[in-house]
Amino acid sequence: MPSIEAAHLTKSFHGGPPSLDNVSFRYDGARAVGYLGPNGAGKSTTLKLFVGLLVPTRGQALLNGRETDENRKEALWDVGAIIETPEPYPTQTVEEALTTVARLRGLSDEGVKAEVARLHDELRLPHRNRRCGTLSKGQRQRVVLAAALVGDPSVLLLDEPTSGLDPAERILVRRLLVRLKKDHLILMVSHLVADVAEVCDDLIFLDRGRMVLQETLANVSAKLPAREFEVVFLRPVVPPAVSALGAGVEAVEPVSDRRFRITFDGAEASQARILEACQRLGPVGQFAPAYPALETAYLEVLRAAARPAG
Amino acid sequence: MSTTRSRAQANGLRQWYVVLSSQASHYFRTSRFLGLLGFVVLIASVTLAFEFKVGVAAERAIQLGRVSEYLSNFLSLTPLWIILAAAFFAGDALSTDFSSGTGYYMLVLPVRRATLLAGRYASAALATLAIVVAYFAFAIFGASCFFGPDVIPWSKLGTAFGLSVVFALASLSVAFCISAFVRSPAAGVLTSVLALYVGFATVQSTVELANYEPWWSLLYGGNAMAAVLDTDFVHETSTPLGSGQYTSLWMAGRAEGTVIMLVYLAIFFAFTLYLYGRKEASG
Repeated sequence: MPSIEAAHLTKSFHGGPPSLDNVSFRYDGARAVGYLGPNGAGKSTTLKLFVGLLVPTRGQALLNGRETDENRKEALWDVGAIIETPEPYPTQTVEEALTTVARLRGLSDEGVKAEVARLHDELRLPHRNRRCGTLSKGQRQRVVLAAALVGDPSVLLLDEPTSGLDPAERILVRRLLVRLKKDHLILMVSHLVADVAEVCDDLIFLDRGRMVLQETLANVSAKLPAREFEVVFLRPVVPPAVSALGAGVEAVEPVSDRRFRITFDGAEASQARILEACQRLGPVGQFAPAYPALETAYLEVLRAAARPAG
Repeated sequence: MSTTRSRAQANGLRQWYVVLSSQASHYFRTSRFLGLLGFVVLIASVTLAFEFKVGVAAERAIQLGRVSEYLSNFLSLTPLWIILAAAFFAGDALSTDFSSGTGYYMLVLPVRRATLLAGRYASAALATLAIVVAYFAFAIFGASCFFGPDVIPWSKLGTAFGLSVVFALASLSVAFCISAFVRSPAAGVLTSVLALYVGFATVQSTVELANYEPWWSLLYGGNAMAAVLDTDFVHETSTPLGSGQYTSLWMAGRAEGTVIMLVYLAIFFAFTLYLYGRKEASG
């Protein structure tokens, strides 16, 4: 059964404050875990620690029960990874770039051919004889993703796997990941919350090197209700005053003469009161969270993390 | 889904070969390899053309025994080509891993860094030796034209080529070490040229002026390859400066040169292995 475990994982650079501070989590079995946080939160640092590109200051990074720092080759044997922005040698063809990886992963000559053909079809890769240096960013990203999938490793560590892809390519990759998570363990870093929401079952939120939340996607949405709603009236209305919408409302921001953004305390009762108040102002065409559920949760988590303790 | 999950772990030797062949095919297609090869071919061609034109070699042809001297002179540029090749192929071979995307492509694979280093080292050696072979081919062609193919001292030439290989391996060791130490690929290439050529040559001549044998210099050790073919070889040449003072020039013999080069090869390779194994991608 595939597994990933971070045990008190800590990393400081040159004796400075930790970029990753005592992060611990463990996942076993097939699933997809979204690893979220703002820039500089420590997401890429975590992945680099897992693949041995960095050495932990404290703690352990284990892949399938093996510590990367102890024996990289053993630990990475059944792991595919995309870290930062990998690039095959520009002089290599698409086929050579994948063949090299397949051979290094121990595939037989027959296995190499079959694997390259499979990935070529699955990811709709550019022509096998195209030099990697001539590929577009999106084409190169698909080759890199294919390289991570060579040999069908059971654990996938993916840093922004849909970066640089056009909408059609993103959908292709998202569908592939949804399929892969049925029998793979995926740890996925992405700023594209829609991708995470579609692919992942579990979430870890990181902020300034610290883990601030670890939850299932379903629980995150339930626990962190939307605090910003958008109300769209069917006719132009006079902007409602904050006090007119009842207790719990914090701000009303007009977007147009019939569309307003309302920030409130997130409570269900407040939400019902606001809707009633809006309906008194005019016919309401739409009353919904201003952002998708996960995006709202993401902002909420960061907001909560920024609040002083106590 | 693929059925490859049961694949066997690739052993280190097979992985070394894969790294070697992949890196070598990359090197042989790069403009820096083709450019350096073109430059060496150009210089060798111009040298031969000049010799044909002015008949310098024809004059030497009168003394058939001097073919060895001709080869020694022609091949005295070999250390320079080797140093340039070492800087070009190894000066940025490891720093690239930590400053560009190619490192993130290779270093996440289940391959020991020692295997990666050994594979890249071997492929850089192949690329360097391809340059050396091309230059030796011109030397042999020139010697055949001016002296006839029958008098070419194959045994001495073979020894000189062997010493060139050892010098190439030692120079690559130093360049790889520089590459593991510096962060910028361009700085690695430049530092390799400066250290291997300008650095050694400058310090060596200063030391020789003070009448000390430069036994610690890789460049001095590398000169043994031309010395093997030099029929007038002497280890130390002293020139009187007047007032009872002398200045000396040294040439490393075959054994001394080999030992110097092997020591450089071993020390710098071990140091590179240590540095590369511990280097972090912190950027």
